[in-house]
Amino acid sequence: MSIFSYQHFPVYAIMVLFLGAFLIAAIGRKAPVRHCLAVLASGASLAFMIALIQPVMLGGEIIAYWMGNRVPAGGYAIGIALEVDALGLFFGLVVTLALFASVIYSIRYMAHDDNQEQYYILLLVLIGGVLGLILSGDMFNMYIMVEIMTISAVALTAFRHKVFGALEAAFKYMVVGGIGSTCILAGVIILYAQAHTLNFAQLAALIPGNLNTATKVAFALLFIGFSTKAFIVPFHPLAADAHGAAPASISLLISGVLTKSGVYGLIRLTYVLFQTMNLGTMQFWLVFIGSVSMFVCVTMALAQHDFKRLLAFHSISQIGYVLSAVGLCTAMGISSGLYHAMNHTLFKGLLFLAAGAVLHETGTTDLDKLGGLSKKMPHTTVLFLIGAASISGIPPFNGFASKWMVYQATYMKAVESGNIGFLLVTIIALVTSTLTLASFVKVTQSVFFGQLPKEYENVKEVPFGMRLAMGILALLCVLTGLFPGLVTTYLTEPATRAVFNAGGYINAMMGSGYAESVMGANAPAAQAVNFAEVGVWSPISWLCILMIALLAICIVALSSKYDRVSENQGAKVEGKYDLFFGGERSVYSQVGGDDLFWGFKHNWRHYFGFMHELHSGVVNDYALWAVVALALALLYAMIVL
Amino acid sequence: MITFNYLASFFLIVLGIYTIVVKYNLVKTVIGMCIMDYGVNLLIISVGFNPGGTAPIFTEGELTAASYFVDPIPQALTLTSIVIGACVTAMTLALVIKLEESYETLDTREIRRLRG
Repeated sequence: MSIFSYQHFPVYAIMVLFLGAFLIAAIGRKAPVRHCLAVLASGASLAFMIALIQPVMLGGEIIAYWMGNRVPAGGYAIGIALEVDALGLFFGLVVTLALFASVIYSIRYMAHDDNQEQYYILLLVLIGGVLGLILSGDMFNMYIMVEIMTISAVALTAFRHKVFGALEAAFKYMVVGGIGSTCILAGVIILYAQAHTLNFAQLAALIPGNLNTATKVAFALLFIGFSTKAFIVPFHPLAADAHGAAPASISLLISGVLTKSGVYGLIRLTYVLFQTMNLGTMQFWLVFIGSVSMFVCVTMALAQHDFKRLLAFHSISQIGYVLSAVGLCTAMGISSGLYHAMNHTLFKGLLFLAAGAVLHETGTTDLDKLGGLSKKMPHTTVLFLIGAASISGIPPFNGFASKWMVYQATYMKAVESGNIGFLLVTIIALVTSTLTLASFVKVTQSVFFGQLPKEYENVKEVPFGMRLAMGILALLCVLTGLFPGLVTTYLTEPATRAVFNAGGYINAMMGSGYAESVMGANAPAAQAVNFAEVGVWSPISWLCILMIALLAICIVALSSKYDRVSENQGAKVEGKYDLFFGGERSVYSQVGGDDLFWGFKHNWRHYFGFMHELHSGVVNDYALWAVVALALALLYAMIVL
Repeated sequence: MITFNYLASFFLIVLGIYTIVVKYNLVKTVIGMCIMDYGVNLLIISVGFNPGGTAPIFTEGELTAASYFVDPIPQALTLTSIVIGACVTAMTLALVIKLEESYETLDTREIRRLRG
């Protein structure tokens, strides 16, 4: 096997990142050298991942790579393996792409910070860890990569330690993330005690048929461990703190990449390792957590006054979509979940970078202080609007395509299974999408439009390098929205097949026929997956519908006797608690109460007050939530599995 | 004999989690994380134990089918896990020092600028 053979590419992709980090530590004292090394390392990693599309995505090959060529002997995996199937490659592509955008952005964004060497070292090590986790075929290696990823993410969260709350966020992340990592380690060890192997494929063959108390405990521990990494409810406060305090280029990675690694872990755990997804309760469990994450986080986002903290809550809300869709255990569901996961990285990265651009120029992310920046930063505004339209699910951007598929998947699941509960999920998803749009209308209005405060008179557009990174992500947002057919054919469909192909995963690593010989008749075969109805929508016709709707609204608004002046002055007193445009008149905004949704929030004040009290910010409370979640997971595993 | 190990390791893990949840001092939180880690380390090492087994150190010729030794893999895993635990502790204590500098308190109930 030549060293240029694509079989080696997975390990190269991980190695170049760690090598890049090492070289930056060694010779990266000068800024141009450092930047070159970081761009080269991340670009090379991305190139290796793209080169794998041909054999893995299109050819359907599963690459099993044994470190040092220590292949299994006597039916036991003794070496450390990397295994890349379409699912792993899908996440690998997303991760390396996000890293590349982040590095390009960082060059100008971090130009004024101290200790930049450490920044780039940690950045590359962080993604090296995530990529290692995704491509690894060995449970203990997965744990080590999780720890590498967690420690470097904590360090990067606290990187600007003078920023309000950065240290605090890092500490909370470390404590609760540490509980999660320990859970993963304990779970891995219990599995080792039962099956005497750490190889993922061999475990996947040995465990599902022989569930006992110990393996059930391991399942619960691993489930909670990966949930902490995905930041789903009840771990969402950590995400909000960490995303908000970290530099924007790191927020992109924490939100776009770290959460994905958790989701990847959950998919692998439930679909491949334990193969529990055909249980109705397991589907319910995942969909339930997903729906709760969706709704709780979007309402939390509505109450935020900090730009990045608001984006952080939205981020977890979108992860809720992904988890709900993945939990459906239908081809449509997984396909839409993965599609949305990819889109989430693109649009959320774009939004965080736009928030970073605002911070870079104005020095604040406080929504109440900002305003009117569209005149000063027109390019950033347009890019932000593309991101906002994508996350709110407005056609023709990518958020619409994947959200539409999520609605369709949950609805079809409800029809197929006759369970009215899945219909409820569709409704929650729709409501969440509406609230997301509402929230972004508020952000757009209070940051980019409205009146420009005096102190930002001299604000300029951000440097080209930062706009370039945002531009790449924006372009991808539009492209993946306009051509959903290509995305589903070349990316999500192979990945979905891989999810349902646990048998192929086992055999690729342990030698063909291994799954059948160990598991007998229960061996999971590659399921025929029907993609007939995936993504039946045409962006052009939806754009037409949107245009017609807008036109209709304009006609109605113009034809009625709508008098803005009298509206602002006359109806103020009795209209104080109106849904829109309620509240007291404020100085900088044409809208009452300094907030578009003052009336809405007023009506929901008990809920928001309750949630505010609940997210107390005390690390003990968050640790307690983690323990409660662990207890529930253990209870579930004991009773149901 | 080995059952006692398992009981002790789960006692340590639970004690660690209890410390994290109940104690309001940052340093005690870090100690809780350490205790939890040690509990898991004890669990790992107990998993590989074979009663009456020798140390798993052999040269090429000595290893026969009759050799009876404890499982070497968990020992290697424990070493890795101890190293990682030390890193986590160092990192967290560094954060505690910085937190104390900027908040001038070690009480978790007062370190809650980010909330709601």
